[in-house]
Amino acid sequence: MSWKKLLRPFRSKKPGTMPAGLVLVIMVLGLSLAMALNADATLRKSNSKGDGWRNGVASVIATVSDTFQFTFLRSRVDEALGKNQGSKIDAAELVRRQQEADAAQQAQDALEASRHPPTIAAPTPATPIHLWVGGDSITQTLGASLQRVLSTTGVFTSTLDYHVSTGLARPDYFNWPEHLVTDVLPKDQPSILVMMFGANDGQNMTDLNGHGLVRGSPEWLTEYRRRVAATMDLLKSPTNDRLTIWLGPPPMGPGTKVHGMDEIAYIVWSEARSRPWIQYFDTWPFLSDANLQYELEGVSSDGSRHVLRQKDDVHMSVAGADRVSWAILGQIATLVDLSAGKVAPPQSEQAPDTVIERTEIPPTMPGAE
Amino acid sequence: MLFPTIDFAVFFMVVFTGSWVLRPHPKAWRWFILASSFVFYGWWDWNFLYLLLASIGINWLFGVLVHRSLTPEGGRTPASIWLVRVAVIVNLGILGYFKYFSFFVSSIADRLNSIGISVDAPLLRIVLPIGISFFTFQALSYVIDIGRGHWREPLGLLDFAVYLSFFAHLVAGPIVRASEFAPQLDHLPDPRYVKSAEAFMLIFRGMFKKVVISSFLATQIVDPVFRLPGSFGRWEVLWGIYGYAIQIYADFSGYTDIAIGIALLLGIRFPLNFDSPYIATSLQDFWRRWHMTLSRWLRDYLYIPLGGNRGSKLFTYRNLFLVMLLGGLWHGANWTFVMWGSIHGGYLIAERVVKERWVGHEIGLPAKLVKGLQWFLTFNVVCLAWVFFRSQSISGAFDVLWQLVVGGGTNSGVTLLVILVIVASVASQFVPERIPQRIEIWFGRLAPILQIAGLGVGLLMIDAMGPEGIAPFIYFQF
Repeated sequence: MSWKKLLRPFRSKKPGTMPAGLVLVIMVLGLSLAMALNADATLRKSNSKGDGWRNGVASVIATVSDTFQFTFLRSRVDEALGKNQGSKIDAAELVRRQQEADAAQQAQDALEASRHPPTIAAPTPATPIHLWVGGDSITQTLGASLQRVLSTTGVFTSTLDYHVSTGLARPDYFNWPEHLVTDVLPKDQPSILVMMFGANDGQNMTDLNGHGLVRGSPEWLTEYRRRVAATMDLLKSPTNDRLTIWLGPPPMGPGTKVHGMDEIAYIVWSEARSRPWIQYFDTWPFLSDANLQYELEGVSSDGSRHVLRQKDDVHMSVAGADRVSWAILGQIATLVDLSAGKVAPPQSEQAPDTVIERTEIPPTMPGAE
Repeated sequence: MLFPTIDFAVFFMVVFTGSWVLRPHPKAWRWFILASSFVFYGWWDWNFLYLLLASIGINWLFGVLVHRSLTPEGGRTPASIWLVRVAVIVNLGILGYFKYFSFFVSSIADRLNSIGISVDAPLLRIVLPIGISFFTFQALSYVIDIGRGHWREPLGLLDFAVYLSFFAHLVAGPIVRASEFAPQLDHLPDPRYVKSAEAFMLIFRGMFKKVVISSFLATQIVDPVFRLPGSFGRWEVLWGIYGYAIQIYADFSGYTDIAIGIALLLGIRFPLNFDSPYIATSLQDFWRRWHMTLSRWLRDYLYIPLGGNRGSKLFTYRNLFLVMLLGGLWHGANWTFVMWGSIHGGYLIAERVVKERWVGHEIGLPAKLVKGLQWFLTFNVVCLAWVFFRSQSISGAFDVLWQLVVGGGTNSGVTLLVILVIVASVASQFVPERIPQRIEIWFGRLAPILQIAGLGVGLLMIDAMGPEGIAPFIYFQF
């Protein structure tokens, strides 16, 4: 077949048809073109999924496409659609900017206030507390459940703001610290934030100098800790009237490719200890057995049994999310006077009394991998 | 393996090449397509293959046995009738175990608990094999057709295996009959005349509907409204319901478009599965346009065997209602689907009653206005039923409907773009068929280099406008 055939309008004896060979050429070249144009987006998705060998292929294609500027069109389209506008601005840089913008006196007040847990006024139906819940895809079901639970009290309003495949590992894909500072805090103005990350963070990262860090290595853990700490600092309110409940990730089921959740839980817990405006919430015991091992089914307070996780063994089922949500509300009630609301969890949605949060989180959990 | 993924694109390039190279060698081609279909299906979970293999083996054997038990002229015998019944029971038994066992166990346990008998029902976690409802129905149609004498010779095992497992229709239809598929196995399509323009347009249209329209409406309005209806006002809830009507249409018909386009590129023609269902002016009309291959399956293998309209009016109404009820249950084990089927069944009966009573009566309104009112009513009844179809529970559906009445929430996910997408999606169904046909012809005449550019840029736009990651097709769960 001559290549010139590709340039001429095609005339077939039967309109709308082509020889199979030419169709194959069109498909192969068309898909190759699409892969080149979409190379960055494909790599981003592949990174967020921890895609194994596909990730290597996507990296090579992205490198070649970037070199020849094939991805220019996609970038412009994304820009026009207002999508994927995450930046490489590091959380620490945002902290610096924010601190510079604050008056010196405010900084001093914040320092003083931060030595005590936040003070949040008791809500009433007329003056409800606004709660923001967000994080990765696990927060989708959990957040919906928490919203439902909160709505039963009559003293909360809430916003659910989850973004699938996100975390703290890839700010170039979705920059959570930036989102919190530029969108959530100023626009939503929550008094309480409930958040969870980690399930998508089991991937390699780059540090501030652009050096690659292998997942789980000591350098990786140090960098992850730095990001968690910086994000927590961003959430500090100058007037100490904002509380953040940071959920540790739950145990993942056998056979999932999500590992290292215990290490992330330890980092979050240990960083939260020195920051009174951050309360660590331990989801692990609510979704595991008596030996703190992953549990698919659990018994509720009334003795009924429920499947706590979705089929992927990663996300929570509605029953699992309900159980955790009521416990979160319980934790909020220990810090905020909710007596004007109706806080009465149904026993079928509540974990039995034997399930309690841990006071200390170990650096690693036996059998967590 | 999902259609709109790179994995599938690579897979299909290999299958397309192998298929046309091997097409002149019928046996090798069949083995190749069968192996490809197994790879496609096993990509989700290799364990599912055992069930598919079992379904192929069992139903092929039933086909042979039923055929042998017929009279030499192809007439039924008591043995053939019983064999068909056993085949139906076995197939529905397998389907029932995977799809309905947990539902019935928990429903019975709940009922017993409500009357004070404490029952600790076993919580089984039965994984529903993808596409089981679709290939089970195809297999049943094959055995029943042989039992009715429609087939003078059962298919060979290889042909039957290719028919049942052909990857383009395996997981979510269309429900193709053996009488439509098998002749195409023997017919050798000419490799010089691949219907590429129609196929490309179908695939593009399907991907746009699925990746862009369906995902956009799901995240912008449908999921939030159905997740927490109490926080939305009545207009937001209404747009959320309309949004779901478009979402499910875009999702399912999008999948079907891609499936038909892919099969067409391999030289195989599938029957139409959707024909602008939202232009229907009656529910009867809607079911002639929505999931057409399921509708005709239910008609031929359920409604007619139940007696169809060969009896009194009440008898016909009963059959109509039963068919819609079972059609609802086919979608899954949940009271919401029963309710969905009941609404459709009930309204179909109401339509007949009204039609019989009012036929020939002059109501003094312009015909176009009457037609418009009929359309409006039909569309809204279909949407009402979708509320139950989409909700996780009956109470969840009533929460949505209650909010529609009382309103009062403060959240709003309704933007001008959401309204525009919904209105445009409905309006697009009124576009005459000749318009897309002209576009198809125009595209087919373009120089191949322009088609390549169109493919590349088209996929770029779809990927850019879609969400990160592709959600599974809604109908995969059925």
